[in-house]
Amino acid sequence: MTAADGVLAAILLGLTAYAILGGADFGGGVWDLLATGPRRDAQRGLIARSMGPVWEANHVWLVFVIIGLFSGFPRAFGVLSRVLVLPLALALLGIVLRGAAFAYRQYGRPDPAGRAVRGTVVWGRVFAVASTITPFVLGVAGAAVATGQLPADGSAGALAPFRSPLPLLAGALALATCAFLAAVFLCRDAEMARAGPGLVADFRRRALAAAALAGGLALAGLPVMWADAPALAGRFDRAVVPAVGSVLAGAAALILLWHRRFGAARVAAAAAPTGLLWGWGLAQYPWLAVGAVDVASGAAPPATSTAILVVLATGMILVTPALALLLRMVRRAGPIERFGDASADSRDVTSPAEA
Amino acid sequence: MLDNLTAAREQMALSLSFHIVFAVLGVGLPWLLLFAEGQALRRADPVWYALARKWAKAVAVLFAIGAVSGTVLSFEFGLLWPTFMERYGGVLGLPFTMEAFAFFLEAIFLGLYLYGWDRLSPRAHWWTGVPVAISGMASAIFVTTANAWMNAPVGVVESAGHTVVAEPLAPFVAPTAGPQVVHLLVAALMVTGFGVAAVYATGLLRGRRDAYHRRGFATGSTLALMLAPVQGVVGDWSSRAVARYQPVKFAALEGLPRTSAGAPLSLGGIYDPATGQMRGAIDIPHGLSLLLHANPTAVVSGLDVVPPADRPPVTVTHLAFDLMIGLGLGMIALALAGLWLWRRCRATSTRWFLRAVVLAAPASVGALLAGWVATEVGRQPWIVYRLLRTADAVSTQPGLELFLYATAAVYAVLTVSLVAILRRLATGAPADLARRPVEVHQ
Repeated sequence: MTAADGVLAAILLGLTAYAILGGADFGGGVWDLLATGPRRDAQRGLIARSMGPVWEANHVWLVFVIIGLFSGFPRAFGVLSRVLVLPLALALLGIVLRGAAFAYRQYGRPDPAGRAVRGTVVWGRVFAVASTITPFVLGVAGAAVATGQLPADGSAGALAPFRSPLPLLAGALALATCAFLAAVFLCRDAEMARAGPGLVADFRRRALAAAALAGGLALAGLPVMWADAPALAGRFDRAVVPAVGSVLAGAAALILLWHRRFGAARVAAAAAPTGLLWGWGLAQYPWLAVGAVDVASGAAPPATSTAILVVLATGMILVTPALALLLRMVRRAGPIERFGDASADSRDVTSPAEA
Repeated sequence: MLDNLTAAREQMALSLSFHIVFAVLGVGLPWLLLFAEGQALRRADPVWYALARKWAKAVAVLFAIGAVSGTVLSFEFGLLWPTFMERYGGVLGLPFTMEAFAFFLEAIFLGLYLYGWDRLSPRAHWWTGVPVAISGMASAIFVTTANAWMNAPVGVVESAGHTVVAEPLAPFVAPTAGPQVVHLLVAALMVTGFGVAAVYATGLLRGRRDAYHRRGFATGSTLALMLAPVQGVVGDWSSRAVARYQPVKFAALEGLPRTSAGAPLSLGGIYDPATGQMRGAIDIPHGLSLLLHANPTAVVSGLDVVPPADRPPVTVTHLAFDLMIGLGLGMIALALAGLWLWRRCRATSTRWFLRAVVLAAPASVGALLAGWVATEVGRQPWIVYRLLRTADAVSTQPGLELFLYATAAVYAVLTVSLVAILRRLATGAPADLARRPVEVHQ
């Protein structure tokens, strides 16, 4: 195990965190898009409330992955940027629009006199649509590098990642997984916020449906992978343990959801994509993009890798307690009526004693 | 039809200029927040508290846009300049990895700060702002350090276009890092100070002469005006570092075509590459030699120390540099005027001064952007000075032009909505505060 392998493992951990935490935020946007029924506004309110304090911190995991990649694997970063131009550019567009739209929707909403900033309704829609497109194209990008059909110089063309079935299926799976994670997390949030049984039931139904869809897509993916990504199929033996773990976790999440054990369901739900990503990573190792660049040819000089590993370890020691503090404060939130988001509430002034 | 190099450079210029405005406000505003909330805590003062709450909302929106526009840059490094990242991503890795963690801490503690007003004790809440302020500044230091390395690269050994040895700490020992970082941090605080001061100066000019507006104005303008002369000294330090480590950039900044003893100081003017002369410039004889070496006949290197292919676009570099200095001198003059008025207790009642501060806000942003244009265009044709040409680093993918137009369109739309939201935020003191009796002190 070299320092470069250590950096790669850290990147995979960062990617997992982004898939779960950032993924749930994208899923929130999906459910915003699909909000229906008598509690439509309450669904959207709960989503905004759950995302508000954490989405920016969750987003940083992506920046962490990108920077880890270009620092630890500069050549691989160059190659990936060349072969994945279109999916990455689309993902970037989605990320920018999603983040900006979320902030604009929140801070442009009606003031006490009932006047919203112009365009706030449109930003709400932009938020939902961008949240839906982004995980799909990120899934396409992730799976396209496994196919081995993308030469390192990008000569296959910008559309190449969209031309084989596996990336498209992986995109759909990523989208379904985000929706699943979000719905499970929102069940718990709705329960904690004492938002009423109706809202909990709404998201429970959605979670079960998304679980079925994601599970179905994952199973359908196996034969497609065999045909489309022979390098992965050839080393599937390495992925068996995490893959089985992923299936079991998914099943456990379903059972827990059924029995309304939402706290435990969160953990099981998060474990399902984790197993899938780690299985994928193990099967694809040492390729960073199959046939184009591997760990040995893609890594930074050893002294750099070691230094980056040290910074990564130190940084995580600093960040982890801070993250725990944030999550603890968010969890301590009271019932939904009292919550409001403090930064955008209409009460501009209270005395410091009240605060 | 734009060629790839032009499209990529324009896109980088657009994305950086857009991001940097949010980045510098993200550096400065948290400190002002800490100050205002600290005053509110110490004196149980509702006016300071109202100011802190208001600024926190502005920070929330600005940080969101800063975060996404910063993410754009990290993707663009690869999408636009894959060769640059392949060769030097590892060298820039350490400052950028540190920057990622600083950004992490900033985002986490900002979440605590923005959503903790009613959930944390007032003291604990104030403390959650401290890591926001520190990590915002740290981010700026790390990113600027990486840029400084591109200007004065050290610590790499290459063979056949591959980096074989990279000193991990190289960017931190790049000789231009010190002055560049300090110059940017001071600029960030000035832009923030003038931005805040301008909002309240506008209110004061419209007759909202309450404690809320006076304090908002005083806080922002004091910060910015105190730093204006400091920035003059730091800028001088910075330009001396350029003269020493990037003589060609320095010649372009100053518009000096030929190496000469007793070099003049050129103000304005356009460079004519055909004749190698500055046209229309006002020359102050021996000025540059005096400024740089305190000796009227000292020799200063001109553009002619390198062949034309290695020279940057002179006119843009020179005019941007002159614009930055002109605006900087104007801000120093404003600082002197402010000091004079303040000692006579007329700083918040003198209309021309308030108007000048309102203008200083866009002027300070203009100086910031002009400074970046000068340093980035002045580094051309190199992306990493004397190691890699920008033209050799650019992506060969088709369609970069479309990417540029899409970015411009998205940023234009984002700007329109952001301005609408910030305008709504800047609508005077909160209603229940305005009803309180105005304190009678100046």
